[in-house]
Amino acid sequence: MERKADDAVFGHFGLVANYALAARRAMHTFRTGPETWKRIAVGQRKWANLNPAATMVERPMTFEDYYNARWIVEPFRLFDTCLMTDGGRAVIITSAERARDLRHPPVLIMGMGQDNPSYEVHQATHLAGPTGAKKAGEMAFGMAGITLKDVDACEIYDCFTYTVEITLQDYGFFGPGEGEDWLKDGTIEPGGRMPVNTSGGQLSEAYYMGLTPLSEAVMQLMGRCGNRQLGPATNTKLPEIILCSDNGGTLQTHSCIILRRS
Amino acid sequence: MGEYNKPLPYVNGDSREFWAGCKEHELRFQKCQACGHVRWPASIICPVCYSKETEWIVAEGKGRVYTFAVYHVAYHPGFENDLPYVVADVELKEGPRLVTNIVGCRPDEVRCEMPVEVTWEDITKDFSLPKFKPRG
Repeated sequence: MERKADDAVFGHFGLVANYALAARRAMHTFRTGPETWKRIAVGQRKWANLNPAATMVERPMTFEDYYNARWIVEPFRLFDTCLMTDGGRAVIITSAERARDLRHPPVLIMGMGQDNPSYEVHQATHLAGPTGAKKAGEMAFGMAGITLKDVDACEIYDCFTYTVEITLQDYGFFGPGEGEDWLKDGTIEPGGRMPVNTSGGQLSEAYYMGLTPLSEAVMQLMGRCGNRQLGPATNTKLPEIILCSDNGGTLQTHSCIILRRS
Repeated sequence: MGEYNKPLPYVNGDSREFWAGCKEHELRFQKCQACGHVRWPASIICPVCYSKETEWIVAEGKGRVYTFAVYHVAYHPGFENDLPYVVADVELKEGPRLVTNIVGCRPDEVRCEMPVEVTWEDITKDFSLPKFKPRG
């Protein structure tokens, strides 16, 4: 038989299971689990249903659908995990001065931050937070000179539902274990008070790594999002400022960027 | 034991002593002689103080489940008949955390912080795997 990294000897493969280890530790540390994550999966799906480019545009999802989906690696069911996608996204970055002459209204970078706890999942102590999101968020908000109250929407890297929860928690939207209450009543959905992952995200639109959240934030601030456009079309506030995240490894690297309408 | 159809350990210069210990049903880890940190994975320098002065110690084989995941999908054909099975990150009393399996109980009986102890599975003539079972 072939020889593999030592994890494979015990049947441990890949990132679904690594994030499942993190999510399980979080369930031990504070109040979270499927009751919280279903609101992220279903909320994002409602955005995808408004997005013609989304893989899941024609597939509505209920809480019941979420629970009826098969286990992948427990505590994750199918709809806790992101899609796999072939395709591409791009954003063009230039000086604000140069951008003023271009055909589309530009979006401005207000602040950014990075923090990389780096420890491999099996020795990591940040699985249930604070992840790199905490320090990266503080750096980005410091540079932007704003607070969470100024944010109109979030585009959060969502390889798994739990990633969205721990990122929002570490940014300070709610305290540990308060995610389920914060998410209630459609907080992140169309018409909600803090729209999150308005394309459907990587769970329901398409997986383009950090470019799924980033390109959506840029498009929303340019006003190019059609039926899912934040503002009157979705009974939400026309966004001035959007908070965006990316993360890599198993919560090992994190970057945060805050964008605003020009 | 020629029918063993799961991946085998990849032994390198750092981990050779660990796997040799497993063959003897001993959990061997490096202990830094400068700061006392017991480490895993094996490496030539201490990740805490960067000292290269190292001795190998034998861990008692007792610990607790730091976290775990229950596989319902086999990502390798060798594990198809084991589903559902538990992969856990077990924190040993001596400090290191080890990826392993929890055996000897049902997957839905496993909890974070559950006390466990090592149990050995001899898989080939060269290799034994440290797995863990509930400890009373």
